[in-house]
This record gives sequence, C-alpha cells and structure tokens, in this order.
Amino acid sequence: MKYESQGIAKMYFIAAIGLFVGQILFGVTLGLQYVMGDFLFPALPFNVARMVHTNLLIVWLLFGFMGSAYYLVPEESERELFAPWLAKLMFWVFLAAGVLTILGYLLVPYSTLAEMTMNHLLPTMGREFLEQPTITKIGIVIVVLAFLFNIGMTILTGKKTVITLVLMTGLIGLAVFFLFAFYVPDNLVLDKYFWWFVIHLWVEGVWELIMASLLAYVLIKVTGVDREVIEKWLYIIIAMALISGILGTGHHFFWIGTPDYWQWIGSIFSALEPIPFFMMTLFAFNVVNKRRRDHPNKVAVLWALGTAVMAFLGAGVWGFLHTLAPVNYYTHGTQITAAHGHMAFYGAYVMVVLTMISYSMPIMRGKKAANESAQILEMWSFWLMTVSMVFITLFLTGAGVLQVYLQRYSENPLPFMVVQEKLEIFYWLREAAGLIFLIGLILYCYSFFVKGKEVGVVEAIAS
Amino acid sequence: MINKSQDQQQLKNASNAALASILNLTLLPVISFIALYLIYKKTTPNNIDHYHAVLGIKINIIAAVVLFLVSGLMILFGGFNSPWTWVYVISYFTIVHTAFIIIALWALVRSWSGDKLFNNS
Repeated sequence: MKYESQGIAKMYFIAAIGLFVGQILFGVTLGLQYVMGDFLFPALPFNVARMVHTNLLIVWLLFGFMGSAYYLVPEESERELFAPWLAKLMFWVFLAAGVLTILGYLLVPYSTLAEMTMNHLLPTMGREFLEQPTITKIGIVIVVLAFLFNIGMTILTGKKTVITLVLMTGLIGLAVFFLFAFYVPDNLVLDKYFWWFVIHLWVEGVWELIMASLLAYVLIKVTGVDREVIEKWLYIIIAMALISGILGTGHHFFWIGTPDYWQWIGSIFSALEPIPFFMMTLFAFNVVNKRRRDHPNKVAVLWALGTAVMAFLGAGVWGFLHTLAPVNYYTHGTQITAAHGHMAFYGAYVMVVLTMISYSMPIMRGKKAANESAQILEMWSFWLMTVSMVFITLFLTGAGVLQVYLQRYSENPLPFMVVQEKLEIFYWLREAAGLIFLIGLILYCYSFFVKGKEVGVVEAIAS
Repeated sequence: MINKSQDQQQLKNASNAALASILNLTLLPVISFIALYLIYKKTTPNNIDHYHAVLGIKINIIAAVVLFLVSGLMILFGGFNSPWTWVYVISYFTIVHTAFIIIALWALVRSWSGDKLFNNS
C-alpha cells in the first residue's frame, strides 16, 4: 500500500461484505416466500423482506464504491487522502444510518416508521427502492457530500488522471441524481417520471462511469498495459454509456402516461445500451490478452474479466431482450424484468466491487496477493456465485416468458395469481440456485481467513 | 505471436475477418458473412488471416446450426402455440447466442495481436 490513508477502504469493504451477506439471506428468504407464502409471516412479511433485500443491495454497493474510491484516489492522486478522519467519521454515520433504517423496516410497521421519522414534514417515503425515511435520505446526502468533498479535494490537490476524472464524474452524478429522491410530485405520472431520474440514471448512467473507472484501475494494476491505451478505451466506453443511457431512460416512460414519442426515443437509445458493455468486455479481453505481467493475484484478474462478461450478459443482453417498446408492451413488470435486474446488478456492480476488494484487500493486509489456498477458495466462490446467478436468471427468464404468455399474450389471459401458481417450478429452481449462491458467498467470506502458501512476485511476460 | 514474415496486411485481414464474424452474429447478419467469405477467398492457408477467416466461418456456421436448427426443432416438436416452447426457445436462444458472441469477441481480440484463438490451437 503506497499511502497509509488507503487503508480506510478496509472498514468500508468489511461493512459492504457484511451487508451483502444480509442481502442474500433476505434474498433466499424471499425466494422461499414465493413458494411458501406464509413462511415467516407475520414476523417478516414479503413486502418488508423485499424492501430490506433491495435497500441492503444499494447500501452495500455504496459502501463498496466509497471504499473503492478511498483506496484508488490516493494512489492515483499520489498523495494521502485529504481528510482521513472525515472518511472514518462518515463511515460510522453511514453504517449507523443504514443499520437503524433496516431495523426500522424490520421492527415497526412502515407507516409507524414514517410517523416516527416525521415523514410528513418532507414526504419522500413509499417509493420502490427509495423507501428510506426522509431523515435517512438527508443522512445519505450528508455522507455523500462529505465523501465527495474528501475525494474531490484529494484529486484537486494531487495528480489528476483520467481514471479519477471519470470516477469523480460518476460519483458527482450519483449525488446529483439522488436529489430527485426528495422531489415527490402529487401527479403520479410526474412522480414515476422523476423517480426514474434516480433509479435509471444511477444504474444505467453514472454508475457505469464508476464501474468503468474501477475496472480500468484494476486492469492497469494487474496487466501492466500502458495507461494511455486503457484511458482511450475508457473515454469511448463512458461516451457510449452516456449517449445511450441518458435518453435510454425513455424505456421506462413507455407505459406511465408520458407522450408516445418516448416509445421511439426509449427504444432506439436503449437498444444502444448494450454497446458500452460490449466494449467493456472487448476492453477487458484486450488488455488481459496484451498483459505485460502475470500478476500473482490471479483471482482479481478473474473477477475483472467476470465483471466485463457478466455485465454484458446481464445489463446488455438481458436488457436488450425486453427493451423495445413492442416487446416491452408484453413484458414490463414481469419476471423477465427480475431476471434482468438480478444479473445486471450482479454482473455490473456486485462483481466490480468484489474485483476491487479482491485486488486491494491483500495489499491492505500487507501482501501482494492472497495466499494460494485463499485464492483457490475465492475462485470457487466466484464460479459458484456466478454460475448460480446465471441459473437464477435463466429460471426467472423461463418464469417470465411463461408469465407473459399466460397472463398477457394468450387469447384467454389468466389472472395474475393463477399464473403465479403455474410458475412454481421455476421459483423452486431459482431458490435452489439462490442457496448455491449463498454457499458461494460463505466460501468467499471464509477465503479471507484461510492460511496457505504465499504466492510469488509479479512476473513479467517476455514480449 | 505473429512472426516477422507475416506482414501487416495479414494482421489487417485477420482483424477484418474476426470483425465480420462478430458483426454477422450481431448487427449485420448475412451481409457480414458474405464479407467474411470474401476475406477468406483472399487468404492463403497456414497464415493467421486464413486461420481467423476459417475460424469465423466455422463459428458462424455452427452458431447458425445450433441456434436456428435446434430452435426450429424445439418449435416443431413443442408446438408453435405452446407457451412452454417459447420458454425453452427464448431462454436457449439468448444464452447460446451470447456464448457465441463472447467466443467471437475473444477471437477478435486474439486477431488484433496476431494470435490464434487459444495458445495451443
């Protein structure tokens, strides 16, 4: 580790992994509730479990992004973090806010939570993924602003690189678009319209910038390929991400009461959205193929390549599958959306955070890479989680196609709950795949504690 | 790696062949296959461009068979109006098609550096 303050990332990563475990535990519980409706009811109703599952995902990914930035920025800027104390303080504030919010969801009815947190003063609760009490949202804004100040000052007073520029742009975008969480118009169409400014412009906009910069950073480190080559790729990728992603928001406006032209705009631009993910795969393959060194941290290289491929699969291919308006007319809000959501989040964002953790954690623990046994175990966890996610996606896709056919396409459409019963086999299979994912995650956590033969130094590849 | 006797033209042809291969699988089916065939006609056996042109043709022919023939058989035996047919066809087509795109993508990257698909191939 070149700079002491990079070590702050460790606490963020530990919290991220802890919350990730929580997210998956709620995920497998939810999976079971799909087929055993009264499982854990009334202690843990489905809607609450779902809210915890999705909110934990967002919170731990934010922890992951912040940890990654705290690790990456000092090294890129060639100086210590501007205010390490602020990063530590904000960690505890964010963790406390996150844990209290989750406990609030679990321990009191949602309406009581709204009353307790004085939601009536500035009502922002009740929208999917943005269920957090207003006070938590304000807390998130404070934490993110402090984080941006810290990272921004480090960059401004240090060396500027393309990676930090792209990362900073993505992080500022993350903060700016979150502000739409505070705007809740009475008109339902406008409400949905601006809600997507947070959800879509995060995951199909600015988060892609964060992802691309993190991936580029790790690839520079593990392959030794010239920074200039990687930076050119990065520019093209983020340009395509923004060109396609911003107006691609239109694919959420097809059926919410907005004008018809959104069907054209949304279809055309979101059909372009696989391109940046395709380029990311091409970029990752290319730099690994042209690598100048064999880095001892082989599992980090595996995560990096896996991120590129799975992001293309989940966000690119599975997004394209149902993004054209004539198709989406039948598929919106079905299990096909769930299939896309699962693989896209895992491929693009979960995996990129795990790539950063995999690369940086051994260094923060005083080694170039984890020992051989730990790396083998982590590779097992990679394959278990990734393959089971592919199966989760396939089972949900199967469920989605059947659902669309029976509920929306056939001459005699069946009611929603009748169709749900017919999808049971897919839900059981998805649950089985989810349990394998959990096993993979447990192995991943265990890999940090495994002892074994230390690995060698970086080996240069003869050209 | 490409040896010194293999000139830049070969490398360019190899890249073009790999690009045509991936375009045939994605944006420009048929037209790109014709372009791939024309590139193949210009190559000489045992050269890297010939290798990538042949590889591209093989990938695309296998993909066509595996995707269209198998999907066609699924529809034929499963019935056009059965929802289960479409469950299988859509899931199968999407995942297998993507697998071919990923293979073609790796071939493209390898062609840029004048390498075969795998080091020992």
